[in-house]
Amino acid sequence: MAKKKIKMTRERGHRQRASGKLIEMGKEVVSDIEKVHPPKLKMPSRSTSNIIYDEAHRYFVLGPRYGLRSAGSMKQVKKFAQLLCTADFAKELIERGKFATLREMYYTAEGWDAGPFSDQGESDLIIEDLEATCGLKREDLGLTPEEDGAAVFGKLVVNEDGVVIDATKAGRAGYTIPPTIDDVEFLKCKAKRVIAIETMGMYHRFVQEQAWKKFDALVVGLKGQAARATRRFLKRAHDELGLPVYLFTDGDPFGFHIAMVVISGSAKLAYINHELAVPDAQFLGVTASDIIDYKLPTDKLRELDVARLKQLLKDPRYNTKFWQSEIKKMLELGKKAEQQAFSKYGLAYVVKEYLPAKLGLKS
Amino acid sequence: MKTMAEELFKEFREHSVSEFFRKNAAMLGYTGKIRSLTTIVHEGVTNSIDAAEETGVLPKISVMIKRVNDEPEHFRIVVEDNASGIPREYIPNVFGKMLAGTKLHRYMQSRGQQGIGVSGSVMFGQITSGKPATVTTSTGKGEIVRADVMIDVDRNEGKILNEEKFKGKWQGTRVEIEAKGVSYMRSRYGPFNYLRMTAISNPHVHITFVEPDGTLTVFENATDKVPERPKPMPLHPWGIMSDDLLILAKHTKGRNVVNFLSAELSRVSKRKAEEVCKLADVPPNKKPSQLTWEEAERIVSAFKQVKLYAPPTSGLRPIGAADIESGMRQILNPEFVYAINRPPKVYRGGLPFIVEVGVAYGGSAGKMTEGKGENEEGETGMELIRFANRAPLIFDQGGCAITTAMRSIDWRRYGVDSATAPLTLFVNVASAYVPYTSAGKQSIADEPEVLDEVRTAIMEAARELRRFLYRKIKTKERQERAGVFEKYLPIIAQKAARLAGVKEPDIKPLLKKVAGVENGEEEN
Repeated sequence: MAKKKIKMTRERGHRQRASGKLIEMGKEVVSDIEKVHPPKLKMPSRSTSNIIYDEAHRYFVLGPRYGLRSAGSMKQVKKFAQLLCTADFAKELIERGKFATLREMYYTAEGWDAGPFSDQGESDLIIEDLEATCGLKREDLGLTPEEDGAAVFGKLVVNEDGVVIDATKAGRAGYTIPPTIDDVEFLKCKAKRVIAIETMGMYHRFVQEQAWKKFDALVVGLKGQAARATRRFLKRAHDELGLPVYLFTDGDPFGFHIAMVVISGSAKLAYINHELAVPDAQFLGVTASDIIDYKLPTDKLRELDVARLKQLLKDPRYNTKFWQSEIKKMLELGKKAEQQAFSKYGLAYVVKEYLPAKLGLKS
Repeated sequence: MKTMAEELFKEFREHSVSEFFRKNAAMLGYTGKIRSLTTIVHEGVTNSIDAAEETGVLPKISVMIKRVNDEPEHFRIVVEDNASGIPREYIPNVFGKMLAGTKLHRYMQSRGQQGIGVSGSVMFGQITSGKPATVTTSTGKGEIVRADVMIDVDRNEGKILNEEKFKGKWQGTRVEIEAKGVSYMRSRYGPFNYLRMTAISNPHVHITFVEPDGTLTVFENATDKVPERPKPMPLHPWGIMSDDLLILAKHTKGRNVVNFLSAELSRVSKRKAEEVCKLADVPPNKKPSQLTWEEAERIVSAFKQVKLYAPPTSGLRPIGAADIESGMRQILNPEFVYAINRPPKVYRGGLPFIVEVGVAYGGSAGKMTEGKGENEEGETGMELIRFANRAPLIFDQGGCAITTAMRSIDWRRYGVDSATAPLTLFVNVASAYVPYTSAGKQSIADEPEVLDEVRTAIMEAARELRRFLYRKIKTKERQERAGVFEKYLPIIAQKAARLAGVKEPDIKPLLKKVAGVENGEEEN
């Protein structure tokens, strides 16, 4: 896979910051070597016992425990060397304004003296180490996942590498959120809210029914579990553009969780949730109450669904009155419903009736 | 327990020797195609070593096994030594008369066990191939005799068929025997392993071996000191059986039973002999040659009721730890070798024995075949080699007390994976009264004291092995550790310098410091 040719058009400071952190790390190590101390790097422990739900921020964060990676340890010196190789690689990417995918990075390591990695899992872990050590997202280090983010449609104009794109004029599919969304500049936004939708089917329905216009919304398709880039986009839309974010997913435990990961982040990415989570995002539905209120066509809960719902009940992120009652209600019902279930009342119903009611915007 | 020699001695007067031989071939070691061949080699080599030692020269033995006419089970076995040679007139008796050896009535810790000796091999060759044995010998006086010897089975006499004499400066004896129905293999039971084991337990012996395919192996001697010969010793009553007694009675010069017992047996005074006669209800002045089997039995059991001094331990001839070590070092070329020689112990209330144990690790230890042929290469695993009075015990391994002792030990406790370790364990039991399980004399009986002593001795040697293995692991770890740091620390220095945009720091002081220290911190 060829590296994406991207000319940096705008430095929002995040890459400068990343570069600075890497230089700092190098200096620390050099200084240790000069003092004849085995270089050590402090990194927050990412083990499950150190992942804590932060009630105040309403997302998972890493606890106070730190691990030391020491170049004086026989077990760790190789990983230490690989970490520095990765850092060096990242710094070069940053300086050249380039990106590499995790996969490319894995193959690049084949040529390293400290490499190669035995599999991509190992190389990904080193990247996570680097993220955690520096408190930086991999995207800031010039490393991106394979997949793009999802799509956005609405009154938003962005500058992506000097190309000005209007998200209403980017074709039916809308503007594709790139993995490197942090390099994209928001030029103009006339929307008043963001509505993020689980399925691309419903996203296209919203575009067709011109929901973006009707609700002054940026309609975002999540494509199931939201990619980092999509979450980052939602986070930036909320923080930089000051837009409220609404989530519309299937009425089942997996839909709930897609919404919750946007809101409160995942445990696995606890070390980076402050860059990803949108704790103020609001879940619209489909709720268990909606199933009853709208008499939606349903499917029976499978065994897996029931188990998952019970799990969610105990999850700290769902420890609110709203979620507890909705989950219990769904368990009582024994039923679940998809977003598309509203089609029972006609294709446009969801946009004409359901959404306005949920948003409190009865026309 | 009956020993072979006595059996033989009784029997041969009544039956023809060949009949006897056929009947008892198995007990004499002539059973199975591989074992028969090994036995022929064994008899020849034992004779040669004994002869050279008696001559007072360092034994130099060469053994050659050749295929005859490309037939698969037809071989010519040649054993040559550098001993005194045999005067012409003794040739028929030495090679052609069964049971004529000098060892029959000497009770000593002897290497030759069957007593039947080389004439048994001549007999075996004769009845399988129909060919006489060829003996070439010279006493070193310029004349060499070559003679074909056959056994006249009816008269139990050696017959010289062809004979030639020629001039030449050489001393020694060369015996060639042709045998059919035997096969050659480099297995644990084959001649190769027999010679290898012999070389280990007899570090003063130089052995040259040529296999049927022409492969030449030289087992160099590791020392040039001829060990002290065991002294013939009278038997002790605790170690004899009725038939031993009867055989002794036939040859004694004592004119009555009391004289006979006190003269022929160890630790028996006239008074004790009289006491025993009384207990056994045997007339003290009876002619020894007229003792009956029943009387002999009663005498043997009467000896158990009287108080006797235990046999003297002075006759014990262990190999010695130093010689075991040099033998193993020479043949196995190991990384580590250690041998111990324990003080004498007794079993059955007083029969003395000594256990010696050696361990060798690395080199060709644990590799019996020294990688001949592709399949055998690199196959290692713990190997037990057993000896009784220096003589290799090759067969009946499973039933042997030494094997039982070795298996009863948890080898992992000594850092040994018995399935793969390049380890040879050497055990020698030295005694004039080795408690063999059977007349084949290939395994040692589970006498509790013997078993216990062997076990203790093995563990003592294994403890030293454990220390060695531990050091070895430590050294290896240190080297690995240094290697890891030498590889990665310079990378760290280089990359860190690049990140920081500064000159690369000198990594050597840190390398020196770190490569020796213990583990760094783990996650807290």
